Amino acid sequence: MEKRNLIFKIIMNILIFFLIAPLIILAIWSFSKIWPWPDLFPKSFGIRGFKYIFNPSNKSLKILMFSVWLSTVVTVITLLISIPAAKALGVYNFKGKRVFKILVLAPIIVPPVVVAMGIHVAFIRMGLANTFVGVVLVHLIPCIPYGVRILTNVFEILGESMEIQARVLGANPFQAFIHITLPLLAPGLLSAGSMVFIVSFSQYFLTFLIGGGKIVTFSMLMFPFIKSGDRMMASVYSSIFILTTLTVLLVMEKMVKSYYKGENYFYL
Amino acid sequence: MSQIQLKNISKHFEGKQVLKDINLFVKEGEMVSLLGPSGCGKTTTLKILAGLIEPDCGDILINGDSVLNIPVERRGVVIVFQDYLLFPHMTVEENVAFGLKMAKVKKSKRIKRVRDMIDLVQLNGHEKKYPRELSGGQRQRVAIARALAIEPRVLLLDEPFSNLDTRLRETMREFVCQIQKKLGITTILVTHDKEEALMTSDQVAIMLGGEIKQFGSPAEIYERPVSTIVADFFGEKNYIKGEIKDRFFICDVGKFKTDFNGFSKVKAMVRPEEIEISARDGENGILGIIKSKTYAGERVYYTIKTGNMEWKCILSSQKTFNVDEKVFIKIDFNKVVFFKDEE
Repeated sequence: MEKRNLIFKIIMNILIFFLIAPLIILAIWSFSKIWPWPDLFPKSFGIRGFKYIFNPSNKSLKILMFSVWLSTVVTVITLLISIPAAKALGVYNFKGKRVFKILVLAPIIVPPVVVAMGIHVAFIRMGLANTFVGVVLVHLIPCIPYGVRILTNVFEILGESMEIQARVLGANPFQAFIHITLPLLAPGLLSAGSMVFIVSFSQYFLTFLIGGGKIVTFSMLMFPFIKSGDRMMASVYSSIFILTTLTVLLVMEKMVKSYYKGENYFYL
Repeated sequence: MSQIQLKNISKHFEGKQVLKDINLFVKEGEMVSLLGPSGCGKTTTLKILAGLIEPDCGDILINGDSVLNIPVERRGVVIVFQDYLLFPHMTVEENVAFGLKMAKVKKSKRIKRVRDMIDLVQLNGHEKKYPRELSGGQRQRVAIARALAIEPRVLLLDEPFSNLDTRLRETMREFVCQIQKKLGITTILVTHDKEEALMTSDQVAIMLGGEIKQFGSPAEIYERPVSTIVADFFGEKNYIKGEIKDRFFICDVGKFKTDFNGFSKVKAMVRPEEIEISARDGENGILGIIKSKTYAGERVYYTIKTGNMEWKCILSSQKTFNVDEKVFIKIDFNKVVFFKDEE
């Protein structure tokens, strides 16, 4: 038993190390001016990167806020579409259900480039290219599979029984959804929402193609620096990127939790 | 308070007939049991009554009006499910208030009604608890209070006691019966437990294979089953074929006096507990030998061989016999139920 515990601890620590180490290096990089190979530590430190980002004339923060807003919109729309789809897949039985379950994942399996090329032409014709709506729509493609898939699993566990009980007690379908299904679904919505937000927030190619350079997101801002090999700038942007997603996730969790705690008294 | 009538209800699921021509009449304020093994269609019947499943054909009348076109939430038929299904994110009082809130009952009225219901099920002091903090019996009380809070026309109980342990089951059974009598609410109870059905109900419907085989008072069902299938549902029986002639029942083991003269070729059903065993021959005793004996606390199960016939007997354990002992069994053929022998 002792021995097994020890092995378990070692494995866990190794895993944590591999998770944390890159982040530490990222943090160090974002403050270092010169860090030539094979030195273990940077030769000199500086805050050029942060100065650049916080300089209003570079609009980095503005674009960051815009990106958060865009991804939030995408997340909300994705969840709205995913809930009914996931309920159908998770609760009801119908012909071809398994095929649909696999087909839902298709956008992740098929490279988005393939789809986006075709969509781009259509969007240009419909006047959706280079617009906010167009970018939101195209972000839905890689996001919906995650939303539907995660919520389907939640619905499979939840089942329909609580909703049926609510109906029997006199709730109409809408009331049953709002008062019973939604609160029970909350933890699932949280994890699906986080996932979808990250997928949308880190979308580079689709935004670039459909946004046509007019819609600029944070990940697009980051890309040139990574490409040109400016490691310091790339690290600064990456750090901000990670901090943003983490903050958004934490805020989301706090909001959902406090909402459902605060909502209790509404029932009486 | 309502009377319910089910008229020729049938239901198929994927080509399989689950309910066959169900007819049932429940009087106002009565408690009726649907008794049958699992898979006999009891729960389906309840769901059809509540409006959760649509029947293929037939009609449901409550107080004489068809309710088939009334959606679940407005039918006034509440089911308490086997696993209670309390809403986990609500406290006890929020659970009880749920139906009232959905019906948009005023808050002051709602609070009063909830308090009354919690008094009724004796859960005072637990109002602010969440379902996960309650015991099985308490959960059931909440489920019943929640169902009764909306003053339903009909209360349906789906195997309400099967998740409780034996002791608690008896307490809750009594408790629910009391409340039912007190409120006089028309109730249908679904169960596979024969004792539960006999003890709680005014009327019992035996359901087997999607059909109601017999409907009557508990005593009627137990003492005068209409068929051997119904009789067998209440435990193993002894059957002996014979003939009725001049007020006598003539069979392999002898000739016995009886008042019965319905038909001549009969199959007599002798309940194991109605067989008397004694060491000495009285009047009309049949000589037999004890083949096996199973001790079960207050009762002892015997099998006794007489000629080529084996009898199952149940005796109180005050008087015991040993295996291979020679005994005389005595049967009162006036109490025996005779069925027409079909073969």
